[in-house]
Amino acid sequence: MEQALQKICGKRVTTDPFECAPYAKDVAYIPGFFVHLLTNPVPKAVVQPISVEEISSLIKWAKQGKIPVTVRGGGSTAYFNSVPMRSGLVIDTNRLQGFSKLELSQGSNRKMVWVKAGMTWKDLDDGLRQQGCAVCSSPSSAPSATIGGWVSMGGLGIGSVPYGPVHDQIMAIRGVTATGEIVELSRPGKDLTKIQGSEELGLQFDDLMGTEGTRGIITEIKLLVRDVPEKEEHLLAVFNSETDTGSMMSWLGGENLTSLYNVHFSSPEFIMTLQEAGYAHEIPLGKFSLEIDLEGKRDEVDVAVAHIRKHVKVLGGTLLPDGVGAEEWADRFKSLRLEQTLPSLQAAEITLPVSNFAAFYEGLSKLAQKTNTLCVTYAHLVSPEMALVMVLYPSDELNTIRYIADLSFISQIYKLGQSFGGKPYVIGLWNTPYLGKVYDRGERERRRQRKQALDPQALLNPGKGYNPPSIILNSYVFGFGMIMIGLLRPLVLKILKGGKGR
Amino acid sequence: MKTIEELREQIAKTSYICGSCGSCRSVCPVYREIGWESAAPRGKIALAKEVFLKKKEEKATDQYAQRLQECTLCGKCAEICAAGIKTRELWLNLREDLRARGMEHQNLTQMARQIKTTHNISTFSNENRLDWVDDLDEVEVEVSKAGSEVAYFVGCVSSFYPMSVGISQSIVSLLDRANINYTVLGSEEWCCGFPLIASGNTQQVTELAKHNVEKVRALGVKTLITGCASCYHTWTHEYPTILRENLGFEVLHATQYLAGLIRKRQLVPGNLDETVTYHDPCDLGRNSGIYDEPRELLQAMEGVNFVEMPHRREMADCCGGGGNLAAVDKDLSQAIAVKRVREAVTTGATILTSACQQCVQTLQMAARQEKLPLEVLDVTELLWRSLEE
Ligand SMILES: Cc1cc2nc3c(=O)[nH]c(=O)nc-3n(C[C@H](O)[C@H](O)[C@H](O)COP(=O)(O)OP(=O)(O)OC[C@H]3O[C@@H](n4cnc5c(N)ncnc54)[C@H](O)[C@@H]3O)c2cc1C
Ligand code: SF4
Ligand code: SF4
Repeated sequence: MEQALQKICGKRVTTDPFECAPYAKDVAYIPGFFVHLLTNPVPKAVVQPISVEEISSLIKWAKQGKIPVTVRGGGSTAYFNSVPMRSGLVIDTNRLQGFSKLELSQGSNRKMVWVKAGMTWKDLDDGLRQQGCAVCSSPSSAPSATIGGWVSMGGLGIGSVPYGPVHDQIMAIRGVTATGEIVELSRPGKDLTKIQGSEELGLQFDDLMGTEGTRGIITEIKLLVRDVPEKEEHLLAVFNSETDTGSMMSWLGGENLTSLYNVHFSSPEFIMTLQEAGYAHEIPLGKFSLEIDLEGKRDEVDVAVAHIRKHVKVLGGTLLPDGVGAEEWADRFKSLRLEQTLPSLQAAEITLPVSNFAAFYEGLSKLAQKTNTLCVTYAHLVSPEMALVMVLYPSDELNTIRYIADLSFISQIYKLGQSFGGKPYVIGLWNTPYLGKVYDRGERERRRQRKQALDPQALLNPGKGYNPPSIILNSYVFGFGMIMIGLLRPLVLKILKGGKGR
Repeated sequence: MKTIEELREQIAKTSYICGSCGSCRSVCPVYREIGWESAAPRGKIALAKEVFLKKKEEKATDQYAQRLQECTLCGKCAEICAAGIKTRELWLNLREDLRARGMEHQNLTQMARQIKTTHNISTFSNENRLDWVDDLDEVEVEVSKAGSEVAYFVGCVSSFYPMSVGISQSIVSLLDRANINYTVLGSEEWCCGFPLIASGNTQQVTELAKHNVEKVRALGVKTLITGCASCYHTWTHEYPTILRENLGFEVLHATQYLAGLIRKRQLVPGNLDETVTYHDPCDLGRNSGIYDEPRELLQAMEGVNFVEMPHRREMADCCGGGGNLAAVDKDLSQAIAVKRVREAVTTGATILTSACQQCVQTLQMAARQEKLPLEVLDVTELLWRSLEE
């Protein structure tokens, strides 16, 4: 195997178990016995191609030997998205680096660059800023998330309010199909944005948007970029209740402020946890905070600041002194600092209509109290109407029983979220039991057909995104299991004295 | 001094904080060369988690030891860490544990022996510390002169390595030009111990620290200056911790001291028609917080067109010469240096400066190997050149 791969990638191949082992992990810890019950994650080989041609040869080789292929970028996802379910070949994209000269789009005169899939969003933004440009939006994992990784995921993050999901900013893609064909796909015209069904032959543009490396491999994208804004302001407003905070978020979404770039919510528990670790001391304890980031033309930003000031007052909130918001903004990629206080957190992430944010939060507080769970919550506004909400709570990976008991809390959060129009943000492997919560029946069927048409051998990232790959992950079986474990959780926490309450 | 159990407990606690997000990946110069996850900071922490938190001793293999020693201690991973982990401290603790396990790289063991014997990192006797003075015609360098205001701690590299003695020669020439009453320690200057600290060998440093501090105190100087970024970091950050006391005199990097002289107009820089860029040494910049004074010196020279590199200040890339990397893997160190000199060339600069003898040496070798049209100098060398010309 190594020799065959070396013929394609030279020295950029490893089959050494020591080197392959880290590719069997991602951000989230899952107890080993559970992982091995359902998967065989350690790859047989990892390769680091440097060109689309090499990737094409790798796929053709894997196809011949029916070897499953998983693409990995930054490995900053948490649902085994980029971890193999079946041991095989991992294509690590990190040597696909660099971006082209700026180009102008025909007609609209917007600036664009071709950027390689393995570059991180932060490296791209830093590089563009040398030339007076910037990315339109980026994930809050920008220092680790790769171009290909975020495009293959939900694509929502900082800057999504004005610019939409990253998928909207892509004008063309270069990549490789599941059969090893090299393709270049342009953004379809408005009438063609949706592919009708499996009858559409060959890989299409939309097949690579948010499909988690299951239909093809992205090697390069043509991305719209923006000029570095004339002015930035970062406000930090605090409120007394979730209702006022939710109202403010809805108002911000609905107000059509041209310079509104990002809105970030932190719960009082989030702030408290950060303060225990020695950060965020300027934010008063017990308050709900909103970081409001404005970027754009000088006068637009100034007008928006004045407008926001007034509305914060109307809702009984307070704007903290200048500089506090800027400091929070500077630390926007450091959300994990709360692990200094609470290592081994578990998390559930959902998209939620912002109009229901306060009600969801209230429900979450009740659930947290009932189950004696400390919920540490933050959220981003990702469109005028939607928020991406992350709920974290302490667990302990050193105690497997406690950890498994805590896993059941994720499904309780999803259930609560669903009652307010929310759904899990990511699928990967661990969320396949919740596929029914994310897509309706028709959409699930359409997705399955598309996968079957493009990758009949199920070579690309098998087990992810379409059907639960095991009876244990079947939505009924898994749901029932989680309910049972959830019932036992209070007892487990009591015995282990591990339930960190309010 | 921590017991080994306390050390291991601390490693376990720190590794537990890591969220495996990978923000530290793309900034790490070593990972960028090697490319495999095991070489990324998060890969190393994942291994530490196994060994110290989950007590899987069998994971402490030779490959694990190799990866822990393939690190320049540049601290860039700490700067970006999404969880705010002081990773540089963690790497040092892990190296200390490696020594305790007898898994230290043989070249580092050899280096520790060398320092014990000669009190410097070279094979020369410490009596030869001032050989570089012989080439100075107009400046007289006095050793352990009583009543001096300033002591200059030269550092091993610019004392013994012909490629680097220009730095010490420039510094004393500048002090002389500004009429500063200064002295040096001569053979009483012992290695500051930085290479030992970087090997996790804090025990052996204590003796060196005690000796050096005692000798400087005996001079009664108000200020100690160092030309080397790592010596500076050791004197300001490590000695007070190791000795658990204030040193009793001020310690400044030569660039800080010289910038002060220029501000007071006690030293007036000359002219130079050159395009110059600056490489922040990790131990002076990120690890000690000094970014402005070296730039102040460069901008004080009339005619100098100062240009910045894309990776600078807190986000400056490493030269590849730190953390004893060259002793563990010379090619890796050189490959990192090559990236840095190439970056310097893209700015249009013909002179790359730094403020550290180790950085200058490493970058000089890379520029030569690549045959780049780039001269590599210490800031103090360029400053002296502006006055000489
Ligand atoms: C602290 C933190 C903050 C985060 N914030 C956000 C956020 O704001 N928004 C957000 O959406 N997510 C966020 N995430 C989750 C994650 O970081 C992002 O989804 C990120 O975009 C994943 O990129 P990656 O390169 O790490 O992808 P990986 O984890 O390597 O891969 C993700 C998926 O994409 C596939 N893939 C990767 N590269 C390619 C390619 N070239 N072609 C085809 N398929 C590919 C993989 O197979 C996998 O299914 C965050 C995570 C962390 C730890
Ligand atoms: S200190 Fe520098 S070389 Fe070492 S792991 Fe961190 S970034 Fe890499
Ligand atoms: S950035 Fe920090 S938390 Fe993230 S993987 Fe690296 S060391 Fe761990």
